[in-house]
Amino acid sequence: MGISDVIPVPVAVDEEISKWTIFGQPVADVWFTTTEKIHQIIEMGPIKNIFNWGRKNSVYFLMQPMGCCGVEMFVFGAAPYDCTRFGCMPRNTPRQTDVMIISGYITRKYLPVIKNLWEQMVEPKWCVAIGECAISGGPFYDSYNIIQNTADYFPIDVFVPGCPPRPEQFLEALMNLQEKIKQRKDKRGY
Amino acid sequence: MTTASDVLSAVQSAFPGAVLESRVESDRRLWATIDSNSIVDVCKHLSEKLNFDHYSGAAGVDWIARKEMEVVEIMASHGAHQVVAMLKSKTPRENPSVKSLANLFWNANWYEREIWEMFGINFEGHPGLYPLLLGDELVGVWPWRKDFKGYPDLTTGQRAVERPTSEGYTEYFIPPTPAEIEAGTVPKEKPKYPSFREREEKEIKSDSEMIMHMGPQHAMLPGPFLLDILIEGERVHKAFLDMGYIHKGIEKIMENRTWLQGLTYTDRMCYVASLSNNECYCGAIEKILGLEVPLRAQYIRVILEELSRIQSHLIGTGEFMTLIAGVGYAPWNFMIIDRESIISLIESVTGARLTHTFVRFGGVRNDLPEGFSDKCRSALKYIESRTKEYIELFEQDPIYHMRMENVGVLSPDRAKRVGISGPPLRATGVAYDMRKEDPILVYPDLDFKVVTGTRGDSADRIDVRLREILESIHIIEQCLDRIPAGPIKTETKVPKKIPAGEAYYRVEDPRGEMGMYVISDGGDKPYRVKVRGPVYATLQTLPPLLEGVYIADAVAIAGSMDGCPSEADR
Repeated sequence: MGISDVIPVPVAVDEEISKWTIFGQPVADVWFTTTEKIHQIIEMGPIKNIFNWGRKNSVYFLMQPMGCCGVEMFVFGAAPYDCTRFGCMPRNTPRQTDVMIISGYITRKYLPVIKNLWEQMVEPKWCVAIGECAISGGPFYDSYNIIQNTADYFPIDVFVPGCPPRPEQFLEALMNLQEKIKQRKDKRGY
Repeated sequence: MTTASDVLSAVQSAFPGAVLESRVESDRRLWATIDSNSIVDVCKHLSEKLNFDHYSGAAGVDWIARKEMEVVEIMASHGAHQVVAMLKSKTPRENPSVKSLANLFWNANWYEREIWEMFGINFEGHPGLYPLLLGDELVGVWPWRKDFKGYPDLTTGQRAVERPTSEGYTEYFIPPTPAEIEAGTVPKEKPKYPSFREREEKEIKSDSEMIMHMGPQHAMLPGPFLLDILIEGERVHKAFLDMGYIHKGIEKIMENRTWLQGLTYTDRMCYVASLSNNECYCGAIEKILGLEVPLRAQYIRVILEELSRIQSHLIGTGEFMTLIAGVGYAPWNFMIIDRESIISLIESVTGARLTHTFVRFGGVRNDLPEGFSDKCRSALKYIESRTKEYIELFEQDPIYHMRMENVGVLSPDRAKRVGISGPPLRATGVAYDMRKEDPILVYPDLDFKVVTGTRGDSADRIDVRLREILESIHIIEQCLDRIPAGPIKTETKVPKKIPAGEAYYRVEDPRGEMGMYVISDGGDKPYRVKVRGPVYATLQTLPPLLEGVYIADAVAIAGSMDGCPSEADR
């Protein structure tokens, strides 16, 4: 669609404008186009970096204690380790969060629940597995009720070993995630 | 003073022939095998005539070699005497069935449901045998039986088949393992029972009632469990509790690990009280072995357990503050800051923040570091001043009092009847504390008093916790003054194979009465470890306590209980 289809301008102007490009795309396409097209252009251009800069500095995580690591997650979210200085805050509902911290063993009964929590989170979202249990089942790996392969169900960006990891390791995991978001190397590719 | 042999002779004279076998371990422990036909009558007699008013729990044991199953009822008293009676009743392994005590003791309900779903022992006369911890697909395979083929199970996750439900939710179906199919242990006929959802929907009586879900992930919950409340307007009519969302099968796993390896699992049952759990497990094994713990090790244990109690109460109270005061994030942050000083103190001894594995059979792993005493004293001084500040703060705040007073009131009689323990019980005025009741280590020599409340409401529960912190500080200071020099482990070598025997050992967990029933068959692994945790009883009490309150109070009540679902689920 050219500009002359919408606004009565001389065809010569239309032809001239169709030669102009922005990030390799015809300008006319950008002016009269769909949101998808705009997203496509954002994907290609440096605007994405600005978006991701904002995203990486406001990663709110879901307060969802599941095991020992859940207690360390409480501490990580409180004053002594002060995750807020990195733009990270605990939130209580999945609808306000960007990061899901899997902080423990996933059991048969809890797997559908945690999957639903993940599906309730709005895009963009990331997932971090904290502790041995969240990685492979940990000390409970051979139990009849424990899921061992968490990574098959969730696109986990950062794995943190430890039983349980110290709150400092939570901070390190968070900063790794931020670096990944910045470099666009996260699993879901934002 | 009533002793175990008095109880035994009283039972034998009242029910001639009912006691098949008996063993008086000490003044405080009675082991008896009761004829399975008269177990209900014996328990009734004990509770009515002999002051056994505390039904503490029940354990199932699968004796596969003897082709029989056993249900062990644990009976104790709320302060009238210190005898714990372990009453066993036997049933054949084919179609096992015993008589239910649920009509006699209200809190037997959940313990029997657990035994039913794990062992398949039927309880005659039980009001509703529904699964509690297991998901629907595992019911009927009886996972804690010794011939269960689904353990070890290393492919649970890979076998999971995703399927969306009609409501648009994701569900998973996990088919049985090849080993289970080959052995033919997959049940052909599953027990029939209404699901949790069906049971609660049956209770909806009118159009103006609805069910509100709190959980499995909810700001109120310190871990995943499902609290459904049936509401009409602002009033809660009925509450339903479903748990097992983090059931790991610790008791089954511990049967397949060596004695020492099992110790690490006790850490992970309740991670803010791991030292008490260590103590409970080690104490039971020391009892079987007859080990004497050196005095210095006993003092170190007491110091660390009390430190652990302080940090547990701080995090429990802090969590509760975030619940009742939406924006009241400040007290929580202050309490976590205070808790960090205790945690770093414990860490300087054990090397870990949460999961210590510090207490060992017949001693402790390592000695206190140099300069611990001074560091500990200064930290405790700080905590003491802070705790006094918190108590004052809560006492003076009129809004807090209007919000919390007379909310979730438990009367002493009702609290005893429902089998609750720890701060919620002591808040009602019942001075029931394992440290006095069933004293272990050097507790009898120490001077401390049991903190009690008067009203038994939510405010009192918090108050009792905070004042217990002061009491713990007092205990630790005495220990630091008195701790002698000497060895920290027994001279006797602890064998890899523990001789055959059984023991029941109780400690006062920060959350209440914690007991472990350990059976050894002479091997290098436990034959059975039963954990009687305090939170299991606390969570069971929660639904009836919520009946008739406002929705907003439901949060205040559940938060003041300081539940830890990880320990309840195990």
